Amino acid sequence: MNEWIAVGALAFVAIAVPLSLLGVSFLLRPSVPEQGKTAVYESGEVPTGNTRIRFNIQYYMVALLFLVFDIETVLIFPWTVIYRDAVQSAGLAAALVPMLIFIGVLVVGLAWAWRNGAVQWIHSQNSNSTTRQ
Amino acid sequence: MSVSEIVFQAGNATNGSGAANATNASAAGGGQTFPEILSGLLGLGPNPDPGLQFLFAVVGATLIAVLFLTIAAVGGIWGKRKITAAFTDRIAVNRVGPFGLLIIVADAVRLLSKEVIIPDSVDRPAFDIAPMVLPFSALLGFAVIPLGSGLQLADPETGFVFVFAASSLASLGLLMSGYSSNNKYSFLGGLRALAQNLAYEIPLVVTGASVVLFTGTLKLSEVVAVQSQPLLTLGGLTIPSWFAFVNPFAFVLFLIANLAEVGRNPFDTPEAPGELVAGYMTEYSGAYFVLLYLGEFLHIFLGGAIIATLFLGGPAGPVLPGLVWMVIKILAVYLFTQWMRSAMPRVRIDQMIEIGWKGLLVMSFANLVLTAILVGVIA
Repeated sequence: MNEWIAVGALAFVAIAVPLSLLGVSFLLRPSVPEQGKTAVYESGEVPTGNTRIRFNIQYYMVALLFLVFDIETVLIFPWTVIYRDAVQSAGLAAALVPMLIFIGVLVVGLAWAWRNGAVQWIHSQNSNSTTRQ
Repeated sequence: MSVSEIVFQAGNATNGSGAANATNASAAGGGQTFPEILSGLLGLGPNPDPGLQFLFAVVGATLIAVLFLTIAAVGGIWGKRKITAAFTDRIAVNRVGPFGLLIIVADAVRLLSKEVIIPDSVDRPAFDIAPMVLPFSALLGFAVIPLGSGLQLADPETGFVFVFAASSLASLGLLMSGYSSNNKYSFLGGLRALAQNLAYEIPLVVTGASVVLFTGTLKLSEVVAVQSQPLLTLGGLTIPSWFAFVNPFAFVLFLIANLAEVGRNPFDTPEAPGELVAGYMTEYSGAYFVLLYLGEFLHIFLGGAIIATLFLGGPAGPVLPGLVWMVIKILAVYLFTQWMRSAMPRVRIDQMIEIGWKGLLVMSFANLVLTAILVGVIA
């Protein structure tokens, strides 16, 4: 029995469910084209300007930081799977210390990002604790 | 206990699938997957041709989809109002049908028969695809969850990683819906949702990895099987070694990170009614809104299913069949999210990012390292 055929079957159903809901809705719903209601919602005001603008870099910094840690979790998983066997065959130090060093390097990276204010959302004018590049 | 269990399972596997070519998966794992059981019942052996396998799997997938759509309908339309009303000392829906239960039908018809309004200058393919991505990713995650009573669609070696990978596909849908709407509220809500999902994904997965340290496998049926062993006996009552009891710190971390992942109070900044209207959902109406809403609830249930599988012994429980216990555990986590929704104030976006990166992330790594030392010393 191939496991991924079953996963594919669920993917198939998971696409079919929203599509069938949309299909039912297509049969039921009215269509009353009218100009006023296609304006984007801006609390009832006439919308001003476009949304596709340059935006706060904070979100980009968080995404960048995520990339590093996400790859790291991928590298941690194989270690967690073999850890118990490795402790029994090679001893605690040999199984644990390399991963501690690996996590340690990342913690240093996090501390650096923390100091540089990458995960600090607002920067008060009054606080002089961190320097923002 | 464990030896007798393994013998029992091995006997079960050879009984069910015939001696000829019992697959390794069914012999080693906690049981058979749903397509295998179905194929065995029809007398087709453990390995029919791929077309039939797909057919059997579609039957199982439909069962899972119907089950969770029903739970979402009852929990999302009726239960949510009743729970919130109970917390705020109101009565809520009680006019249509017994306990107001028929409101589910009325609401479903109402929502599906609303006009879909497509605003000016939306990014068209992304705007249409985004509402489908959310329920898709949540449903896909259920493929590898052992739901009990034989309802597990697939049991791959990497099930643990797959379920997180599937559920984090939702970030894509959130970004698409937020950016394509061409609405300032949607844009802010989408970016916030993404930043939140990214920030809390790492603590979630790292805390989950501390469970894998105990089990030594990523196969979810075996994660459940490990938890069936007794932890200790208190006055004749045997407490199973659920990881919520073995490692309560990890359980609490996981619960908090999961709250943020599904965007519920105190971490509901992406939607933040009163601040961002409805966040990334602002421009969606009619059937599209139904899909986004459905996807959100399915994500809460998937989160509950992951918590139940990793920390609460999966479908294990006395008297009642496994599937019922699984649903009870999922609904318990759902009740918890609704409780938080009624009881907790919302944190600000900057507080949320700081809690994620400076608090939960550091604590989840501390938890991982401490668990590793503990497991290493015991092993």
